[in-house]
Amino acid sequence: MARSPRRPGSSRRETAEAGLPSSAAVREAGVSDPPIQTVPAPISGNEKPPAASRFRIFIVDSGWNSAARRVLLENFALIRDLQKEDPIYVLNRERSIEFMRRHGSRIGRDPIIAVHDMQALGKGGTTGFHGFRLSLGLLRTPHQALMGLQAFARFLVTHRQSADLEADIRANLRREGLMGAIEIAMHHEAREIGE
Amino acid sequence: MFDRFTEVVSLVLGALAVAYLVYEIDRRQRKLHDLWDVLDGEDAILTNTLEDMVESGELVPYAGATLA
Repeated sequence: MARSPRRPGSSRRETAEAGLPSSAAVREAGVSDPPIQTVPAPISGNEKPPAASRFRIFIVDSGWNSAARRVLLENFALIRDLQKEDPIYVLNRERSIEFMRRHGSRIGRDPIIAVHDMQALGKGGTTGFHGFRLSLGLLRTPHQALMGLQAFARFLVTHRQSADLEADIRANLRREGLMGAIEIAMHHEAREIGE
Repeated sequence: MFDRFTEVVSLVLGALAVAYLVYEIDRRQRKLHDLWDVLDGEDAILTNTLEDMVESGELVPYAGATLA
């Protein structure tokens, strides 16, 4: 069923989250890194994402102690700086686990970074193409995870004004079609994801 | 006779090489498709769940400089 176009921005309430120890303190205590949690946003006026945001980025992470998760934790600040135009929503551990329980086939693929194309959602709702998702948890080594994250950031920045985002995703990320097969045969995609 | 034999062997090896290439390309493409998922009608429930959380205010844009 198609959804009606969404209004940009919305009323929101602060999500109260308990303070968390730093990663260093947790490591000292011999505990694995804490799950990615939403940190209480410093209240500095009425912060709203830019009205012209093309994308909404969602990070779902239930807390697996994986290389991909560590890479995401370490590089999140840079990702955030590179995607200043788009709001990033981070689901806390509880919400992420609930999310995974509802969509069990995604378990083990997280951290998942879902990108909603607001332009596509506004035109056709959720019945057709409306975004893409990077299942970072499928990348097993830190090098692969880092390259996947870099490819993700690079794609978003370079295709922000794309008229046909779906075609760009299929050609450049998923390597579909004859050109994609050629690039795969020449190992371009392997170099890009660190294999 | 020997020429025919080498011809057949070459053809078989060539076919095996092509088959392996096709298999490997298909394997890598499937891996990429798993990694980069396109959201479409099948993901409507998932998308709507997240969008509803934003609209209701359950999720707010992350404003911190780094993750804890």
